Amino acid sequence: MKSTVMKKTMYFFAVPALLFYLTFWIFPITKLFQYSVTDYNGYAQSFNYIGFDNYKDLFSGGTLGNSISNTLIYTVVSVVAGNLIGLGLALLLNMKIRGKGFYRSISYIPTLFSAIVVGFIWSYVYMPDSGMIATFLDKLGIPNDNLNFLGSYSTALYSIIFVEIWKNVGTTMIIFLAGLQTVPNDLLEAGRIDGCGGWKLLRYVKLPLLATSITINTTLSLINGLKAFDFPFIMTNGGPGTSTNTLIYSIYKMAFTEQMFGKASALGIISFVLIIAVTAVSVLLMNRKEVSA
Amino acid sequence: MKTRTKKRTGAMLLALMFTLLAGCGSGNNANTAANSANATNAPEASAAADTTAGAKKVTLTMMVSGTKAPDGQDFALDIMPKLVKEKFPNVTLETSKLPDEQYFTSIRTKLASGQGPDIFWVFPRNASLGVLDMAKAGYAADLSDLTFWDKISQGAKDDMSYEGKPYGIAGGLDYLGVYYNQELFKQAGITEMPQDWTSFLEACQKLKDAGITPISVADKDPWFLQFGMYQIAANVVYPDEMDFDSKLQAGEKSLTDPKWVDTISKMKELYDKGYVVKNSLGLGSAQAAQLFVDGKAGMIFDGTWDYATLTAKGAADFTRGFFSLPANEAGQPTYVSAATAAGFALNAKSENLDIAKEVMNYLFDGQSDLFKAWTESNNSISVYSGVPLNHDLFKEVNDSYLNNGKSVYFPNQMWPTGVAEEMEANFAEIIGGRKTTPEQVTQAMDKKFKELWKN
Repeated sequence: MKSTVMKKTMYFFAVPALLFYLTFWIFPITKLFQYSVTDYNGYAQSFNYIGFDNYKDLFSGGTLGNSISNTLIYTVVSVVAGNLIGLGLALLLNMKIRGKGFYRSISYIPTLFSAIVVGFIWSYVYMPDSGMIATFLDKLGIPNDNLNFLGSYSTALYSIIFVEIWKNVGTTMIIFLAGLQTVPNDLLEAGRIDGCGGWKLLRYVKLPLLATSITINTTLSLINGLKAFDFPFIMTNGGPGTSTNTLIYSIYKMAFTEQMFGKASALGIISFVLIIAVTAVSVLLMNRKEVSA
Repeated sequence: MKTRTKKRTGAMLLALMFTLLAGCGSGNNANTAANSANATNAPEASAAADTTAGAKKVTLTMMVSGTKAPDGQDFALDIMPKLVKEKFPNVTLETSKLPDEQYFTSIRTKLASGQGPDIFWVFPRNASLGVLDMAKAGYAADLSDLTFWDKISQGAKDDMSYEGKPYGIAGGLDYLGVYYNQELFKQAGITEMPQDWTSFLEACQKLKDAGITPISVADKDPWFLQFGMYQIAANVVYPDEMDFDSKLQAGEKSLTDPKWVDTISKMKELYDKGYVVKNSLGLGSAQAAQLFVDGKAGMIFDGTWDYATLTAKGAADFTRGFFSLPANEAGQPTYVSAATAAGFALNAKSENLDIAKEVMNYLFDGQSDLFKAWTESNNSISVYSGVPLNHDLFKEVNDSYLNNGKSVYFPNQMWPTGVAEEMEANFAEIIGGRKTTPEQVTQAMDKKFKELWKN
């Protein structure tokens, strides 16, 4: 069959890219599957195939459950809070206020820093006794003896989630802001003529039209949350105890400190499946709600 | 006809593209080869460069772990390359130094991908990146034919040996102990140094009553816990059972042994009674050291390797002391926690193994400038015969080690990597006020040990 769009020979031009993709992306992933059924330790070139023992160990041990629950808390809180704050900011900065550009830049700045920098800055903000928050409370005369954000079991996870949100809210806001620019003025006017107040305009006109942005933002922060690694790594080392161990951090620890690459690969595959499943379900759910102007 | 031309053009384009790509590819390969020559010194590349000088030009690479010396010249980074060049004009030594964690990760990757440096840093026995693992995996070279083995103490040599042959050159001997502030001790009315656990607790209580934080511990860095824990274990687990770990490895003993429960409980006691700085889970090692140096805490558990940090000038001027944590019962001797320090190993797969061995022979010849610079910069206690003790602070502990020989190595050197981490993670739950018991900590350690131990 003769295509009117493209000559078939042109498909060959995809070969180089495809080759690269296969060697540097697909091949390593299949290696991961291979390692997940071995006791490979990461450096000795001899290893044994041990069947599904790694998976059995993971499902019977505590690490998997603990890190999945930490990751899910991390994800849910950062998705929900991050998007609400981002949307709020976008709505505020979409109003006719003086110095709008300045405020928009300010809220976007945290996004520009690398996670390492942000992690270090916030470690100092959270530090007991001499950290920024503690010093500030001191100035106000509020006792802060037991303030230990990163060192206490009940607050460590939420403290790093807060930093995650702080860093990413700029991106979320920009996407919502762009979405708000696409809401046609005539629809808003029509709404006003029909007697809508601010809340009703938001609820029935703006939000449905923002559905695409919501999908993008939710998916992005969902994936971000499920992949959480940087902040536990920099700020808490997964601690205290294992209270901020996320899936990816557990994989790192298992592979590089405990030298169990095999088991870490198995955990990698489990999280791979989990991330795909969660993302797919949420994208499907949200796609249904999208409308177009 | 027309289509055929098109097809031909397509095919030709394709062929052309492959040629181009191939060109690219080989260009890249050449580049990588050159790079890896720089990094690992494939001798061909260096040999090709040399035409005039009689001796072959060689670039040796070396990677060690640690942090750069805070002031002046760093031995590995600055001094050693210079002095090696003076002695062997044809040898260029390229060195790099990484913090422990990064070093562990990158050296394993480099070795596994065949890009390992010629000289690298290994740890004794079974420790993380321990000499046993490295020798077994075939990365560390057999060093039996080096010339200076009769000058190195037997214990240090044994700790770096695999199946009776040395695979690493120990950098020295390290003690774990308690650095303390003599002025604060006087201020709190502690006149006699504690000799056993009860009197140690009393001393802590006196400090606390005087409004001084007794002990500074950096629990935000989980590994810091080991500095106290292993000293307690040295006095609780090992005194009447020095072969505990051999039995453990043979499966005759387990880490849930009452003696380990007792060890963990003693550590817990320090926290329960409020002797450890509050919010220790939020303190990193640098901050904990700062508390001690600033005179805000009476003691800190640490090793000889942190001498420079802990004797740095802080907000307060005071005299430091160093003793072994007396976790023993009254009337029993205190055991010193002492272990062979990390040291040099040579890459068995290196093309320049012979030259690297010559450099090592020169470094440890006992008289060269390089040897002198090495002993000066080394914070560990020397295991090389005839080298005097480097810091007077350690004299007491060192004498007790040399004279009565009551010492125990660090337990994690006999554990697979991961067990100590498990201990730290579970003990953190105790510090954090969770309802974890010492028994549960030992159970977790034992489970991890059984999972990781393969022999």
